[in-house]
Amino acid sequence: MSLEELTKLVEDGETEEAEELAAKLLKDGSDPLLMIEALTKTMGHVGDLFAKLDIFLPEIMLAGEALAGVVKVMEPYLDAVGGQQIKGKVILGVVKGDLHEIGKNIVRLILETNGFIVKDLGYNVDPLTFVKEAEAMGADFIGASSLMTTTMPRQKEIIEILIDKGLRDKFKVIIGGAPTSQMWADEIGADLYCKDAKSTPAALTALLA
Amino acid sequence: MTTAYRHWEILERSTTGPFMDEDDFLPKRFTPTLKKLIKKYEIKYDPANPCPTDDAMADRIWQAAWDLFRDVGYYNTDSHRIMQVSDQEIKEALYMSNDRYLVGGGKDAVLFQHRQVEDKKTPFCIMSPDITCDEKYHQSICMAYLKEPLLDGICGPILEKTFGHLIESAGPTEISGCIQHIYNQKMAARLLGRPGTFMVAVGTAEHDSGQIAVSDDNWGVQKTDARLVGSLTEFKTADTLLNRSLHYAQYGGYTGNLTGAIYGGWCGGSEGTAVATVAYSLIGLIMHGAIFNQHFPFHLNYGSNTTRELLWSISMAGQALSRNSNLLYTSNGFANAGPMTEMLFRETAVHAMVSTVSGWHLWEMASTRNKYRNRATPLEARIGMEVGHAVARQGLTREQVNEIANKLLAKYEDHAADAPMGCEYHECYDVEKAVPTQEHYDMFRKVKDEIAELGIEFPY
Repeated sequence: MSLEELTKLVEDGETEEAEELAAKLLKDGSDPLLMIEALTKTMGHVGDLFAKLDIFLPEIMLAGEALAGVVKVMEPYLDAVGGQQIKGKVILGVVKGDLHEIGKNIVRLILETNGFIVKDLGYNVDPLTFVKEAEAMGADFIGASSLMTTTMPRQKEIIEILIDKGLRDKFKVIIGGAPTSQMWADEIGADLYCKDAKSTPAALTALLA
Repeated sequence: MTTAYRHWEILERSTTGPFMDEDDFLPKRFTPTLKKLIKKYEIKYDPANPCPTDDAMADRIWQAAWDLFRDVGYYNTDSHRIMQVSDQEIKEALYMSNDRYLVGGGKDAVLFQHRQVEDKKTPFCIMSPDITCDEKYHQSICMAYLKEPLLDGICGPILEKTFGHLIESAGPTEISGCIQHIYNQKMAARLLGRPGTFMVAVGTAEHDSGQIAVSDDNWGVQKTDARLVGSLTEFKTADTLLNRSLHYAQYGGYTGNLTGAIYGGWCGGSEGTAVATVAYSLIGLIMHGAIFNQHFPFHLNYGSNTTRELLWSISMAGQALSRNSNLLYTSNGFANAGPMTEMLFRETAVHAMVSTVSGWHLWEMASTRNKYRNRATPLEARIGMEVGHAVARQGLTREQVNEIANKLLAKYEDHAADAPMGCEYHECYDVEKAVPTQEHYDMFRKVKDEIAELGIEFPY
């Protein structure tokens, strides 16, 4: 039983076994901060494999679930040593009229496994709902995805609502999705265009710096 | 005959089928079932052969697809219930399906019929840019495509604005944009003397209301035309999509089912992508009453299907459908590179030759990953259709196509991730005359000559 075995179980998406092993390691006195560091490194590796499609979406999703399970087991221990480091809080969803969410789900997973707290609103989300949920959460970011050109204007509407409510400076608005681009982000005044899931955590961290 | 006679019984399953949480449908039902079937039927991707010749595996893929559809079903995200059909219903639908339809109107009507693997019948050629375009170029682009000699059907570019207003799905701008779209397309066909050309329209409609608004035999989408209904990846639908298929059937036009299984997503690799693509044809036939299926399996990272892992899936899916059904299905190319690049011409040629010899009809060509406004032109579609016609007329075998495809792949596949974006329509076409610039045509000719040297005998 070792930390190495735990990271392997997480990489393989073996949630139950990973949770059991994590509990045992913690009970035996393993340092939770060292464990988190190793697991973060593992998920970075899993993310790299997925970026090259050496593994596919079901595998990274399973690894993400296993990590979430382990982190839950670790929570009391992490709280005891000062809590987890939260990099930022994100409201995430697919805009109104759009029912395609695979890209958004990948971004959610990558963010969660990189220290962000994400509230996923799902798909077909009204622009005002993004804003209300961000206020309620005290979010740092509003992330809006769109897969169709005719739903892209809903990303713009989120920004317009923020301006009208005097909240534009309170949240960073990040956009993504197949038809979106840096040009579109510039046109609507978004703070960030996410070209892919992998680069999103670093880009968000840089925005808060 | 379509399966419209069963439409209400099928739709009812949206409310009576088994309940499942949407979050569980893909990870707990779809992917595990697909993985088991790939193993059971011993389906194995072969990277050395983008155009394989394994008839037995093609038949096993067909059986795996049948089992996948029957066992997994089709999930309605509005009712959270799974619509399922029996073996008996699949058999009945396949028995009742027609292997040919006369589409389009008057002198421009064309026969759209089932093709065999290595068939000498030329593929049915639907030309489409698939991308969005500026309002000011819309009619010119429609005209430019309609000037293509091998065009059997057209699907026009998508409008982003209508009278200067951004089009918003489900809003009044979408209704207006859809009407503007079909007006432009029909006017272009009339001005060019091909008024009865078969149209698949309108791509500007994301919502059902936009599609329903253009059903009109006098000025809109006519009964001799087709409309598409999509699926949500993977194996999911919604009421807004089911509304479409019901309306299309009741209106009386031709229904096409639009699907893109994602390589790297819930399907996994090439094997799962091939199986899911075949299963989508059964979904189209039975759930949507489609007379044809329009498939664009694509790479999760690139958004394209011209690299070997996708070509293998396309080829095997085509062979599976061709050998085991009499259905109609078009292979929709998605390229990495943009217009007026040699890479785009080569990508399109490879996609078209592999598809044609594997029993598909052609739908070319979404350029530049189908992502950038104005970045698609008829000239890349032309090379695809000319290659498709040549491959069929010449009677090339899968082995011969495989060899040529490998030679062309060697010239571009390492650049899938950093493909050149090329030009926008107005930079490589004369917008007023709707014809390619000399520079663009010369590049087309150069790559066509290169392909001819590899053994493709173009009729002209």
